[in-house]
Amino acid sequence: MTIEIWQALLIGCVAALTALEGDFLGECKLREPLVTGFLVGLILGDVRQGIIIGGQLQLIWMGATGIGLSAQLDIGCGGTIGTAIALMTNSGAEVAMAFGLPVSILMQSLNVLKMTGFSGIMHKVDRYAEEGNMKGMIRLHYFCGFITFLLYCVPTFVSVYMGSGLVQTVVDSLPQWAMDGLTAVSALLPALGFAMLLQILMETKLIPFFIVGFVVAAYTDLTMLAITLLAVAVALVMYWLKSDRPAGTLAYEEEEDL
Amino acid sequence: MSKNEIISAENNITKKDFLKVFWRSFTLLGSYNFERMEALGFNYSIMPALSKIYKDDPDGLKEALRRHMEVFNMTVAPSTFVMGISIAMEEQYKRDPEHFDPASINSVKMALMGPLSGIGDTFFWGIFRILAAAIGVSFAQTGSIVAPFIFLLLFNVPHFLTRYHCLFIGYRNGNSFLQKVQSSGQMNLFTYCAGIVGIIAVGCMIATQISVSCPLSFTISGTEIVLQEYLDQIMPRLLPLTATLIVYHFLQKKVRVGVIMAGIIIVGFLCGVLGILC
Repeated sequence: MTIEIWQALLIGCVAALTALEGDFLGECKLREPLVTGFLVGLILGDVRQGIIIGGQLQLIWMGATGIGLSAQLDIGCGGTIGTAIALMTNSGAEVAMAFGLPVSILMQSLNVLKMTGFSGIMHKVDRYAEEGNMKGMIRLHYFCGFITFLLYCVPTFVSVYMGSGLVQTVVDSLPQWAMDGLTAVSALLPALGFAMLLQILMETKLIPFFIVGFVVAAYTDLTMLAITLLAVAVALVMYWLKSDRPAGTLAYEEEEDL
Repeated sequence: MSKNEIISAENNITKKDFLKVFWRSFTLLGSYNFERMEALGFNYSIMPALSKIYKDDPDGLKEALRRHMEVFNMTVAPSTFVMGISIAMEEQYKRDPEHFDPASINSVKMALMGPLSGIGDTFFWGIFRILAAAIGVSFAQTGSIVAPFIFLLLFNVPHFLTRYHCLFIGYRNGNSFLQKVQSSGQMNLFTYCAGIVGIIAVGCMIATQISVSCPLSFTISGTEIVLQEYLDQIMPRLLPLTATLIVYHFLQKKVRVGVIMAGIIIVGFLCGVLGILC
């Protein structure tokens, strides 16, 4: 697929949106691959495939939580460029991952530079604060947003527009064994995401529930939604059993029934 | 409730002003930097209230603007709670500058950052995002167009509600609210029960969303033996569970995420090339 200049520009804007979403839209999660997959699919004219690839990338990056160490990954830009390349080369999530992962690491380093640079702006803000110049402070606040927009939009536009031919050649020349290797990596990588989630959530008192969740999903055909609703039911029961409401006597009776 | 409803009579702060704080709070991370972190974003968010409180006191306003340029950093969704409490304390200072030490405003902010971020991260990064993404992904696997919308709705409804109510709770009874929640242990119980939902979902996703399997097969005396079939007899989805627990083990040993990821890529690639995993 050859990419038009307006498509590359819009993809650049999606990449910028994934950064500005966190900065100016209160982390409303437009950066997640599920969403960028949909947007990139819309721009490149294949919404269905975009969402499918987005869903698979979402699993790979499930544990990229933006807290502490795991903030080493910029999943917004990585997901956008990865999905765009996969769609342009008519390939699947393996290719999206192979290109998206390095991008997500690279962009995070750029992000570190950006946050260092913004530190300098704060001294100017200090001066405005001393003068009581609120307009000036607000201007600088949004100026930072403008810089972020450029930092994300321009490199994404350039790499998607200029790089599309090169990437096509690379993808076409990948031998079968390399594709097998990439497939296995993309099958295995979600394990890192889920392990990182376990690290956030796990405590000894929760182990039984972890076992329940795994076993129900592994041995039955219940969907994710069904299991989640069951989980909510279990959590409610535990809440009532443990909370010392006036209905405490009732709680003890229920405990004996179990 | 009308937009002109007066929330704070003494300084004529209306509901409209609070809504401004609410919307501005979304830009908290806009000028995030290593030195002051979210300070400018925080300052910008509460400016509508500050300019009402220090309407006739330009020096007081300057002082307040400087005060809120101190380092501030916390998870975004419940940040409005701290904004609400700060506005209430600024009013207290304005009312009684003799006896109220303005330094306590920043100490309260500092004291709240840690605990509120802990709770907020658990809920929004650990639970809401995961549940929303898990359900979204299950729709995305068939390419269904509703997938991104379901994901965004499931995450953002609790997000917006928290952000909105935290502002008013923080303003009206921030201190007493925190004391009540901490002393009764309600928050711990609530976090524990939310953790139940989260951990069941993670267990479920390990079984359904990690597709790794073993395609190896041997022919021994005319019979073809597919290894995966034997693994399934021991327990279905054994490989995904094993892989996750191995990675979890390394995470617990404080191995760096980047190192683990590199390890997975190398091991996975080799196993894929050799036909051990797919």
